[in-house]
Order: sequence, then structure tokens, then C-alpha cells
Amino acid sequence: MKKKWFVAMLSLFLIFALSACSSSGSGSSGGKVTVDVFQYKVEFKNQFAHLVSQYKKVHPNVTINVTTVGGGSDYGAALKSKFASGSEPAIYNIGGPQDLHDWKGKLADLSDTQAAKDALPGTLAGVTEGKVVYGLPYNEEGYGLLYNKDVFKKAGIDPASIKSSADLANVAAELDQKKAQLGIQAVFAFPVKEQWVTGLHSSNVFLSPEFGENVSNAYKSKTVSFKYGQQFKQYIDLQQKYSVQPTASMDYATQVEQLFSNGKVAMIQQGDWVSTTIQGIDKNFEKNNVGLLPIPIDGYKTDSIPVGVPMYWAVNSNKDANTIKAAKDFLDWMNTSSQGKSIVLNDFQFIPAYKGYDASKIQDSIAKEVYSYAQKKKTIGWIFMGYPTGWGMNTLGADIQQYTSGKMSWNALEKDAENAWKTNRGQ
Amino acid sequence: MKKSNTWFWLFLAPVLFALFAVVLLPLIYGIYYSFTDWNGITSSQFVGLKNYMNVFQTDSFMNALWFTVKFAVLSVISTNVIGLGLALIVTQKFKGNNFLRTVFFMPNLIGGLILGFIWQFIYIKAFAAVGNMLDVASLKTWLATPGTGFWGLVILMSWQYSGYIMVIYIAYLENVDRELIEAAEIDGANIWQRFIHITLPMIAPAFTVNLFLTLSNSFKLYDQNLSLTAGGPYNSTQMLAMDIYNTAFSSNQMALAQAKAVIFFAIVAAISLTQVYFSKKREVEL
Repeated sequence: MKKKWFVAMLSLFLIFALSACSSSGSGSSGGKVTVDVFQYKVEFKNQFAHLVSQYKKVHPNVTINVTTVGGGSDYGAALKSKFASGSEPAIYNIGGPQDLHDWKGKLADLSDTQAAKDALPGTLAGVTEGKVVYGLPYNEEGYGLLYNKDVFKKAGIDPASIKSSADLANVAAELDQKKAQLGIQAVFAFPVKEQWVTGLHSSNVFLSPEFGENVSNAYKSKTVSFKYGQQFKQYIDLQQKYSVQPTASMDYATQVEQLFSNGKVAMIQQGDWVSTTIQGIDKNFEKNNVGLLPIPIDGYKTDSIPVGVPMYWAVNSNKDANTIKAAKDFLDWMNTSSQGKSIVLNDFQFIPAYKGYDASKIQDSIAKEVYSYAQKKKTIGWIFMGYPTGWGMNTLGADIQQYTSGKMSWNALEKDAENAWKTNRGQ
Repeated sequence: MKKSNTWFWLFLAPVLFALFAVVLLPLIYGIYYSFTDWNGITSSQFVGLKNYMNVFQTDSFMNALWFTVKFAVLSVISTNVIGLGLALIVTQKFKGNNFLRTVFFMPNLIGGLILGFIWQFIYIKAFAAVGNMLDVASLKTWLATPGTGFWGLVILMSWQYSGYIMVIYIAYLENVDRELIEAAEIDGANIWQRFIHITLPMIAPAFTVNLFLTLSNSFKLYDQNLSLTAGGPYNSTQMLAMDIYNTAFSSNQMALAQAKAVIFFAIVAAISLTQVYFSKKREVEL
């Protein structure tokens, strides 16, 4: 008899549990405002929580709930489910023109914020339509060829002497010859498995010129022509030839942690985001031993590195006016108030995308180099957010895997990628 | 009688409700969305069968389908052969057979994602280390070629599920009537004949269950696929579930992916039902 009661209680409990899932949400009542933030950057979760608690001290009426879901495509999927479930966040992230198009109607106009006025020139290109700004940049990131300073010194190579792809090839050949005495396994670690490294970042270097380095042009373009395709091919060939093999199964962790951080290779193509990873393995190595080289494009720029904005903050226009106002105020406070700025610079360790920062305080060494390139205006614009959806990784990235395995010729690769672009944009 | 009937439905209600809310409703929604141009955020219009036509025109789906079929056939065979073999070993009378049962079952307790990463380490690092020592080139490129990616998945699947399948075979093997086997022995049947003609027909229900489990599991495989190869190199080891996920979330073609998912559902259902039907017919009733 007792058992029966237990089961009845349990089923009742289950019914309650099921029905309890559907209440809670954000909004404003009685002067108190709740702002739900749904963001992608896992790396600065704790520091962001710190920023929120500081904001709370100045604005006791505003409650900010942060949810973090990390990592490229997962964020997009999670955000869609979040919207579908009915509990829409007030602040979320968009990546560029495609997101701008997809989320249109759920994006508030941010043109009147201080942050939009302070954003560095060019950083708003991907999220502006006409004169209306829909997103505010997180930060700036840059990448290029990271090199091991120690290895270069031992080999007697001056990194500043690399001024063309021929120079780069010579240096690679020289390092390859001396690899036993330098104690390296190979010159490069080329992670062909990571389609974002090849299909998005490498390709960006060689496709950016033909779109005038402007992400919106890439997004609007019906075709892609591989104007610097030969240079792109040489760059891929060079890395494939002098890399630790097999490249087709090499992932990010092997490239950055196992090989580069342990001094097993001389060069890798990565950006400032690897700093924390390298610091986790060897603090001194990160501080003293990592340099940044541009990827030379013969016939275009040979001394510049790609710098761009990885993600933007956006505000949900479906929310009520109070919540939108609070959300904008929070973003302004984070990016333009002196307290916010100091957290962005010192705790987030961001390369700021806004005016008025004391850049000499940037702490990590790769970020410092990226920033100095940006200061000298030796940059190439990021345009891969303007590729057709999935094109960079699933088409180009996969084709590069076929090319490096010898299953596809370079001409066929260019054809296939051009056709895929055309079909996608034709719709 | 009537009273117990009310209780029956009352107790069943929470489960039925849950089943309706989390299985049936999404299924109906999914089928509906596959006929629209839904992009995950809004759906504006009804497009009829356009998505279904597109499914069969994309190479990626057909490649994934073919890869999954090959994979399913091989892994169903290997998992069941190994599982039955292990079951036969541990049902013999010797010391430590209980210990061995535990050991063989263990892989199944590890989650698929973690298993994938463990085996990725084995294939890439351990195989390469052995390959360097013995100077065997073919051991150094595991998971870097489509072939090794395929066999890597089959080995992983067999390793993970054999122990689970073994437990089911053990249950049926221990129920086989000793008298029947002794009678056959007296009639002069050797060990092989006893196995083929007595044991196998007696454990036919186990085949029904195990074939169903392994078949549907290999068709639906996703997490092991994701963590071991992630579809690489060049999407050659992409299985159906992964192709559908990528269409939906990296190419953002939600409605097309939904259509693929409906086709996927139909295929898995059709194959599983035919298999159960034919296996059932083979079972002997005593």
C-alpha cells in the first residue's frame, strides 16, 4: 500500500516539475530591470562576471543574468533554441552581415550609443546598414605566422628579412635543413583538420584584396575569383611540404600545445587568442619567445596582418523600452566608462576596438604585436564573416583537405569553391 | 475491474504526457517544418516538396547515406560476432569468468564523446609511436585518410558495444536447456553441431534484440563520429546524423536539414522494422 502512495506522489511531482519549466523571463517591473545576456566567449566568463558585479554596484536597480555558451557554431544553434523557447535574451552576439540578415527584426538600433561613436574606424563595417548600427564590437583580434624567436636566433635568421613569399620559402628551407641541430621536428605545424584555420583564416588573407578588404563587399558579391589564388596555393604548399605529418589529422591542440608551445616547430599560423593556451604550458615562452610575422601576399601587401572583430554585441528589439535602454547603458558602461575600460583592458586582456584606451597597458605579447601592427595601419581586413554560410569551412576547408591529400588539383579546388559560392548566392 | 482501469490510466498519464510532449509533438513539428522555408528563426512560407527534392540532389547526403550503410553493415556483423564470442567464453565454467564479464562490459559505461577522444589518442598518437618504432608507414597516418577513418569508427563501435551485446547473449545462453544439449551429445552430435543446431536456434530471440540494437545504434551514431573524426578528412567520414546537424547549424539550412531528418527517420524505421519482422520469424517456440 505504501508503495502505491509513493508512486502516486512521484507522478504528481513529475507533473509539477514539467509544468514548472515554463515560467521565468526577463523584463522590467517597478523600476527594477532584468537584462539577460547570452554570450559566446567562454574564455572570459569569470572576468565578465566580475565586470557585471562592478556594474551592479553602480546600478543597483539592474539585474544582469549572464549565460555563456561557447565555441563557434554551437553558439548559433544555442541562440536559436533560446529564442525558440520563448525566453529571449536582451543582449546577444552576432558575427557579421549574415547574422545581421538572419536576425533582422530582432536587432535594436544602437546608433545612439556612445560606444558606437567611439568604435574604431572600420570595426562597424559588418554590422551597419545604411547609417544604422546594429552591433558593437567585442574587441579586435589579429593573426599571422607565430614564430619561435629562440629557434630563429639559433638558426641566425632575422625575421624582419622576410619580405616576400620567396623569402618565406627560403627561410623554411633553411630551417628545414638545420632542424636536427635546432631540435625541431619540422618547420611548420599545419592543422588541415581544423577547417577554420585553412578555410577561414588562411583564405581570408588571399581573398580579402579582391573584395577591397571590406566584409560587406564580400557578403554582397555574387562570385569569388581567386585573384591571388596562385599565392594562396604557394602558401598552402609551403606549409604542407615542411609540416609535421600527417596534416590531415592534426588538430588545434596538437598544433599549438603539443608542437609549438613545446618548441617542436618554428612557425604556426595562429592569432592572439592562443596566448592563454601557451601561458598555461609555459609562461616564459609566451612572454619572451613568441613573435608575429605577416603572411606575405606577392603583388599586394607583404607586411600586414589580418585584424578584425570576431563578434559583436547586439540588443534584442523585442524587449520593452526600459530593458533596451538598460542593455544599451550596460554596453556603453563596459566599453566607454573609465571603470569598464580598465576591466576590458586588464582583466579581459582585449585588444580594444574603441577609442580612448591606454594601449601601452596591453599585457600579452602577441596582442601587443597585433596592436602595434594596427597602429601602423599595416592590416588586412577580415572578410570571412561575409562568405556564404558554411562555404569557408565546409567547402573550401574540405577542399583544402582533399588538395593536401593529393585527391584534388588546385584548379579543381578553385572551380569547386567558385561554383559553390555562385550557387549559394544565386538563391 | 473498472476501478483498476482508472488507476491504470492515471499512473500512465505522466509518462504518456511526457512522451507526447518530448517525442510526438517535436516529430509533428519537424515534419511540418520540412515543408517550409524555415531558417531556425522564422518560417515565412510553405514550399511543398522542394526540400525533399533538394535532399537527393546534394552529394553530401548521398555520400553520408552510403558511408552510414557500409558502416552499419560492418559494425553490426563485427559487434555481434565479437559479442557472441565473448558471451560463449564467459559462460564456460572457469575461475574469473565473472571478472571477465565486468571487464568486457566496462567500455559501455564510458560516454561516447570521451570514447571518441580516447580512441583518437590511440589511433593518432599510440599507433604513430608504434609505427615509428617498427617503421611501418601505414600506422602513422591513421584518421588522416578516409579508409582509416572508416575502420577507426568500426573498431570503436565494436569495442564499445560488444560488451553490452554480450550481456544479452549471456542471458539467453544460460537459459538454454542443458537436457537438450545432453540429448544431442548422446545422439552423437559434436560440439560444433550442438552449437549450430541446438544453441543457435534457442538463442534466436537474442539475435532479434541485438541486431535491432546494433543496427539502430550504428545508424544513429553521432557523438563517437564527432569526437573521433568530426567527419574529416574532407567530410569523407561524415555519417547521416552529422550531415543533418551540419546542414542545420553550420550551413543554416534548417528546413533542408529537417527534410533530411524526416527521410533519415523513415530509413531507420523501415530497416529496423523489417529486421525485427524477419528475425522474429526465425525464433523457435518451445
